[in-house]
Amino acid sequence: MSFLTSLMNALPGAVAQGLVWGIMAIGVYITYRILDVADLTVDGSLATGGAACVMLIRAGVNPWLAVLAAMAAGMLAGLVTGLFHTRCGIPAILAGILTQLSLYSINLRIMDSKANQAVSVDKYDLLLSQRYVRTMSLDNPLPLLLVVTVVVIGILYWFFGTEKGSSIRATGANPHMARAQGIDTNANIVLGLMLSNGLVALSGALLSQYQGSSDINMGRGAIVIGLAAVIIGEVIFGKIFRNFALTLLAVAIGAVIYYIVLQIVLQLGLNTNDLKLVTALIVAVFLAIPYWKGKMFRQKIQPQSAKGGNGNA
Amino acid sequence: MKKKLIATLLSAAMCLSLAACGQKTDAPAGSGSGSGAVSASNGEKTQYTVGICQLVQHVALDAATQGFIDALNEALPGQVTIENKNASGEPNNCATIVNGFVSEGVDLIMANATGALTAAASATADIPILGTSITAYGVALDIDNFSGTVGGNISGTSDLADLSKQADMILEWFPETQKVGLLFCSAEPNSKYQIDEVAKHLADKGIETKEFAFTDTNDVASVTQAAADYSDVVYIPTDNIAASNTEAIANVLVPAGVPAICGEEGICSGCGVATLSISYYDLGVTTGKMAAKILTGEADISTMPIEYTDATPKYNAAMCEQLDITPVEGYTAIEG
Repeated sequence: MSFLTSLMNALPGAVAQGLVWGIMAIGVYITYRILDVADLTVDGSLATGGAACVMLIRAGVNPWLAVLAAMAAGMLAGLVTGLFHTRCGIPAILAGILTQLSLYSINLRIMDSKANQAVSVDKYDLLLSQRYVRTMSLDNPLPLLLVVTVVVIGILYWFFGTEKGSSIRATGANPHMARAQGIDTNANIVLGLMLSNGLVALSGALLSQYQGSSDINMGRGAIVIGLAAVIIGEVIFGKIFRNFALTLLAVAIGAVIYYIVLQIVLQLGLNTNDLKLVTALIVAVFLAIPYWKGKMFRQKIQPQSAKGGNGNA
Repeated sequence: MKKKLIATLLSAAMCLSLAACGQKTDAPAGSGSGSGAVSASNGEKTQYTVGICQLVQHVALDAATQGFIDALNEALPGQVTIENKNASGEPNNCATIVNGFVSEGVDLIMANATGALTAAASATADIPILGTSITAYGVALDIDNFSGTVGGNISGTSDLADLSKQADMILEWFPETQKVGLLFCSAEPNSKYQIDEVAKHLADKGIETKEFAFTDTNDVASVTQAAADYSDVVYIPTDNIAASNTEAIANVLVPAGVPAICGEEGICSGCGVATLSISYYDLGVTTGKMAAKILTGEADISTMPIEYTDATPKYNAAMCEQLDITPVEGYTAIEG
């Protein structure tokens, strides 16, 4: 039973991490599902958000302002990718990779050529820290993260209902038709990328405060986690949540589930060298479930003579 | 409807099977992680749980972890349950791993490398944290005017060998040196600090230096080539990525005839001429001894200063032959 008690104890931390990455996953959802663009910039812009936020806090800036500045930095990164894609004709994936590559050097410069900059909760007035995730006090990051997630979803829900937001959705759904309707698809793609990377940088800023440091490699593998969260959210809540706001919530919950599963795997005592293999298998299983479900449904329509009926009700 | 029922029953069965996973594979006494709370009431605590968080799989870090485990098992035989977890190079995993340790209530956390240390420091202010394979604690933890003792719940060992001596070593072996290239990985937090210090010492002696930073294994060769073109001698600090790529570095430096002075024995035996070497295994052993003292209550972590291990001047005989250099007196040859 000690496994379950320590797991229960570890859950607040896993949920908090999941919520932080959930914001990043919402950013990935915007480009991946709404704009239908595979944006690999996120590996770089997550670290950019973290680096900008940490350096500003160390310089004595108010942490809220630091987080907003980090978002602006992320939006700049999205702007660059967008310009690479729309003005230079570089395919979206490559544009994302190019930006992510250049962000490595830029992040190093932001961090004053240091690969790791610490920001201790004892020294600075941070918005959140993993130190207090298990305490029942106002310092606990969980309420703040829930509020931030809800506010982000609320703002996005309102935005994608406006005319500009709807034209972005149209650009993603059918670019040719959107252009035929007179929508500037290039501008919308750039705007979508800016919005997405701004959210990813916000997540990076919160993550660096949560973990107590910003690291040049903190964005590595971020796109995998983001996509995993999107897929997990869709697989589990796809049929229940039809509303757009709830779909975004499902993405955030997907990230939380991902981190809970990761924490369980670690607590089970598996060799951590196999951590990445296990992570990949978990994501693969979640990706395969809708495909297998689809195949099971398809068998129902086959004529009676082909198979002797089927095993499903 | 039936499908949903089957699905729910199956997932419930899977959840139940988790409860069966109570025994962790690395628990010698079988009492697992609950021992801390149980024995506290007895007053005389004999079972301890220690969590090791290692940033990445790497020869030097692995050696330090092994030394730590060996020393701890020697000091407190059969009394320590050690959980050894590796973050596989991702700093975010360190937070998840440390979160697990804190929620289990381990008695001590060993953080191997800077990323693990900052994550642990951020996660808890109560559980003692011992760092190892960290070069500069003041830099890693952002402490102004670092006095040698971190205080609070953090202490540890440092792999820093005397940097002024290393700078002197360059001149001792190659007195004609005019330009020194400083080769390191930009993603290594400790390397920049060492590079800056060595550059200062060399500048005092009137030697020109230039930094050559590579990002990862992919651009080691080209950056090393640039360094070889510029320098008379190359200096490589205790850099983990450089240590993983000594062959690639040697393949550039040897044909160019440029010698390298290294911060650590592992790097030196791969691509260097001489070094002020420390053994990461010994570093781990020192950390393990500190841990044993803290666990038994013999020492208070808030007053323990950072410890170092002794450094021996060593040289690489094979490299000296290849580059046609006569070894300097007083250096021991690296074996193997």
